[in-house]
Amino acid sequence: MDSASSQPEFDYLFKLLLIGDSGVGKSSLLLRFTSDSFEDLSPTIGVDFKVKMVTMGCKRLKLAIWDTAGQERFRTLTSSYYRGAQGVIMVYDVTRRDTFTNLSDVWAKEIDLYSTNQDCIKMLVGNKVDKESERVVTKKEGIDFARQYGCLFLECSAKTRVNVEQCFEELVLKILDTPSLLAEGSSGLKKNIFKQKPPAAADASTSSCC
Amino acid sequence: MASSIARGGEDEGEDEEFEGFDDFTIASSWERFISEIEAVCRLWLFDGPKNLVDKGAECLDHPKNLYKVKSELKYGGKDYCLEFYFMINKDGQATEWVDNLHNIQQSFGVNEFLVIAPLSASGVVLDSPESSKLLSAVAIALSNCGSNWPAFVPVHDPSRKAYIGIQSTGTIFTRRFDADRIGSQVPVRLMHMEGLYELFVAKFASFDYPMNYFKVSFGMKLTYRTPPFDDDEEDVLENVEAEVKESEEVNDGYDRIKVQWDDDCPWAEWYSAEDPIKGFELITIWPRNTCESSMEMAELENASSFDAEKWSLYPLISPNMIDDSDGKFIGFASQLRLLVGALERSFDAKFLEDFVSAENIGSDNSNPAVVIPPPTVRDRVLKELFHDGAQISSSLDLESKNSRAIKGAPLESLFAQFCLQSLWFGNCNVRAIATLWIEFVREVRWCWEESQPLPRMPSDLDIDLSSCLIHQKLHLLAICIKKKNLLNHENHTSVEITGQSSDDKGLAEFDRNEILDLPQNESMVDEFDSDSPDSEGTTGNLTVDAECAVASPDAHKSCPIRKGSSGIVGNMMLLHSFQKMHAPYTQDAPVMTEDMHEERLHAAEVCGDAFSTSGQLERDILSSDMSAFKAANPDAVFEDFIRWHSPGDWESEEIEDRSTGNKEDPDQCNWPPRGKLSQRMSEHGNSWRKIWNDSPALPASEQKPLFDPIREGEKVLHYLETLQPHHLLEQMVCSAFKVSADTLNQTSFGNLQLMKTKLNQLYITLASSLRPLRANRTHDKYELIGDLRRLCLVFENIEKLLIFVSSLHRKLRDAPRLTEAIFNDYFNYYLPKMGNSSASICFDKKFSNKQQVSMLERDVVANLFPPPTANQSWRKVLSMGNLLNGHEPILREIIFSVAHRVGDCHYGSNIPWTHTEEIETHRMYIRGTSNDLQVALSVTSWD
Repeated sequence: MDSASSQPEFDYLFKLLLIGDSGVGKSSLLLRFTSDSFEDLSPTIGVDFKVKMVTMGCKRLKLAIWDTAGQERFRTLTSSYYRGAQGVIMVYDVTRRDTFTNLSDVWAKEIDLYSTNQDCIKMLVGNKVDKESERVVTKKEGIDFARQYGCLFLECSAKTRVNVEQCFEELVLKILDTPSLLAEGSSGLKKNIFKQKPPAAADASTSSCC
Repeated sequence: MASSIARGGEDEGEDEEFEGFDDFTIASSWERFISEIEAVCRLWLFDGPKNLVDKGAECLDHPKNLYKVKSELKYGGKDYCLEFYFMINKDGQATEWVDNLHNIQQSFGVNEFLVIAPLSASGVVLDSPESSKLLSAVAIALSNCGSNWPAFVPVHDPSRKAYIGIQSTGTIFTRRFDADRIGSQVPVRLMHMEGLYELFVAKFASFDYPMNYFKVSFGMKLTYRTPPFDDDEEDVLENVEAEVKESEEVNDGYDRIKVQWDDDCPWAEWYSAEDPIKGFELITIWPRNTCESSMEMAELENASSFDAEKWSLYPLISPNMIDDSDGKFIGFASQLRLLVGALERSFDAKFLEDFVSAENIGSDNSNPAVVIPPPTVRDRVLKELFHDGAQISSSLDLESKNSRAIKGAPLESLFAQFCLQSLWFGNCNVRAIATLWIEFVREVRWCWEESQPLPRMPSDLDIDLSSCLIHQKLHLLAICIKKKNLLNHENHTSVEITGQSSDDKGLAEFDRNEILDLPQNESMVDEFDSDSPDSEGTTGNLTVDAECAVASPDAHKSCPIRKGSSGIVGNMMLLHSFQKMHAPYTQDAPVMTEDMHEERLHAAEVCGDAFSTSGQLERDILSSDMSAFKAANPDAVFEDFIRWHSPGDWESEEIEDRSTGNKEDPDQCNWPPRGKLSQRMSEHGNSWRKIWNDSPALPASEQKPLFDPIREGEKVLHYLETLQPHHLLEQMVCSAFKVSADTLNQTSFGNLQLMKTKLNQLYITLASSLRPLRANRTHDKYELIGDLRRLCLVFENIEKLLIFVSSLHRKLRDAPRLTEAIFNDYFNYYLPKMGNSSASICFDKKFSNKQQVSMLERDVVANLFPPPTANQSWRKVLSMGNLLNGHEPILREIIFSVAHRVGDCHYGSNIPWTHTEEIETHRMYIRGTSNDLQVALSVTSWD
């Protein structure tokens, strides 16, 4: 963005993507995370986009979070949003089994197909745990799925705020742990250092910002 | 003495000789010489092999584990060099036919030995008194130290490889050695086993023993070499290649007589590689056996090679395979290196035209580095690109996931082929590339203007964003051309349309979208009528009538004609009228290339964070869908649209099994469908409902197109025509690396896991090294070019390995185990080069790992020796026997030995024979070809 200026306002810019069936609460999760509120939202048309600045350890991070529409009709366009994403959050609704099964039938495949980033971190999120009585997808099933696809896993509720913060936090920490993703997300100034020696990148950045 | 030795070990023994021999005044120079030798030998003896190695003994690569130390001595005004050869880590006793033995070891059956030779040009002692004097000096010195090392002196002229030698065995026996060689005109007698046997027997039978009293034991090793695979070709290979490039069209007229070995390899389309395997050497080793007469020996010449105890095989590798010097290897790697050079130069100019125009950038056509091939060549290349085999096979499946990680064009695609052609266009300099590109774009524009389909481009609507931008743009253009064609067709002809859409399956959906508008509307009414019987099945006329009765009047009331329906949606009924829901034809979402997507995302980012800022494009699409839906279902309400478009937002109050069991159910039961919109859809101010209210009922065909093919097509051409040189070259480099690897990856080499792994590693390396090129950022040019050059070297190593493996595979196809074993050996041999990607290292070691051939594989290996044709056998004079499929061995080695019981009788007592031991008294090593014979004899005696 403003990498031209000598002192960028952030150390890393990460692009995250929310995907999953329509109505599982992607936009609500995002709203809860970015402005800590909860309201009934109109279904997303196509795509929505939010930015949040967070600080982790001593690193200032700019998170650009893309919220996509779950409707099938928009899926052809969605493909472009996968590009360059360092993290993808797959959301399902614990009270609707079809939203869970669609993750493996549809969404996981989309990631494989469109993600340009082989190391991109995937995260599985079961939303709406506040409706415990209506739950049909057990936590164990979620864990099994996550293990199979190599994702992080968390259950949360955008409505009650449970685990929402943690969900994004864990994803970002994992990205910070992955040198190749870190290299991509680093702001303009440090680009060259990372390009040369990816393993040393983490050290270089720690020393420079602390 | 012991103490002095101990000290000598520490300080090179400078003062040792003074302690051991304190009186030199009366010693002759010869005695001093002996004492010098003795001192050196004591030192070596004391150190032992391990310390000597630590002190920097020279390792002789060729015979494995053999080391050498040397010391220079003076005697009689001449300089001599005393060398001690020793083995380290020698396990057990030397077997007879160990690989890679030193000539002396092999000849005389010794392990460690001393050689004393004058430091002269020839390195041999020409004078025979001198040689025996030298040898005695060493022998005396050695016996003084109590060492049993054999010592040798080279004699005669060097080409004879003649030695004399002596060894004390620690008993009363002494071994004497003698070797010589006949370099030409070998007597016929000595070319045959019989004669050689007699030669050996004559060494001892004449004096001491009666002929029949002994049994000669012998072992034999025969080495065969396959006839060259590409006999005369290798000499003219380079010339042929050059010719082929220049005048292929002319050449095509003739049938080339010779077929290159790699004609059916995937790279053969682009270049012909020298066969890395020049041939094989097969070594057959015969078990030790005894022989009592020369007749027996003569018969052995006719024995089948299959009777040999052991077969081992190794390939003869072309020296070019390990030669790194520039220009030695022509392949993808060499051309990629040129392309990287072109990339480096591409930064020099802003426009591609600058490289072409004569007055610019030192474009002196006499400089071979910047020569542009003549127009005829250029035209041929363009013709191949645009007119030969125009359609692309869907090769996406062929590409490995690793390959897709490289941002390039798919192998068969137009741009990929352009890159490959460029690699071989002239010498791939930037001017040549610029010329070709400008013509290429001109050709592309012609296709656009004339509405000709772009060759080698896929026709589907999914632009692969992981490919390079130029490929995406060309793909978009191909789509635009198609859409443009359909628009034209629509305007001019309306009759052929149905025919066309049915025979092009891939286009079916697309065609209908664009074409099936007005003419279709008439038939839509029929379809509408015929719908019901189709889906109703056997329910009978009553229902049909009922439905029509209810539906038709309704339909006519609000909107007379249903437009743009693609058929009914299952059994879904509209909410407010007793009609089936029709799915509309919708407009395709606009096709976009990567940069267009990026622009959109960027715009969204700039527009910022404001809540519910959804893309305008998506709104347009939604609105278009709504309009189409309204047109297809004139009586539909917003809820109906949601039920079709976003079923998740319709909360049905009917039982779950409705959707599964509805085939049999009469429709009336389902009407009106009960349910409600989800909370979020029904909220006040819902943006979806707003859009619904604003969308007119219009079938897709009458809507303003979401995508304007004319405009987009022109934009693509603008992009291609104004592409900056380094942007072009960057994408070419990526694509060229990718498709070169893809091409090589198609090579068949059996199931060699190691090679597969290496190829995958290559892809991964390529992907990560080329990544800096994909980001549209400015990068450090010098660093980048350096990285790319190193990448070329990595590529070359893999390419060479692959060519090797391909050659090996086709020669030993039926012996996969052997293939794999040889390849693994070769890989390990080649490995030191791979690690060193920055500079070529000196690599003079010859590949000579031998692999044992199992019994089952012998047939395959024997087939490497095709029986000679009549012509060949006429040419060759066969003189040695021991033929394998009619091929004479290139080398026959025989070791004869005879053992004799020796007892104390020689001391004069009469102890019975049983208490005696058997020692090898005579040993003869013979190494012969049809015009070369080397004989080494060692005799143990008790004089």
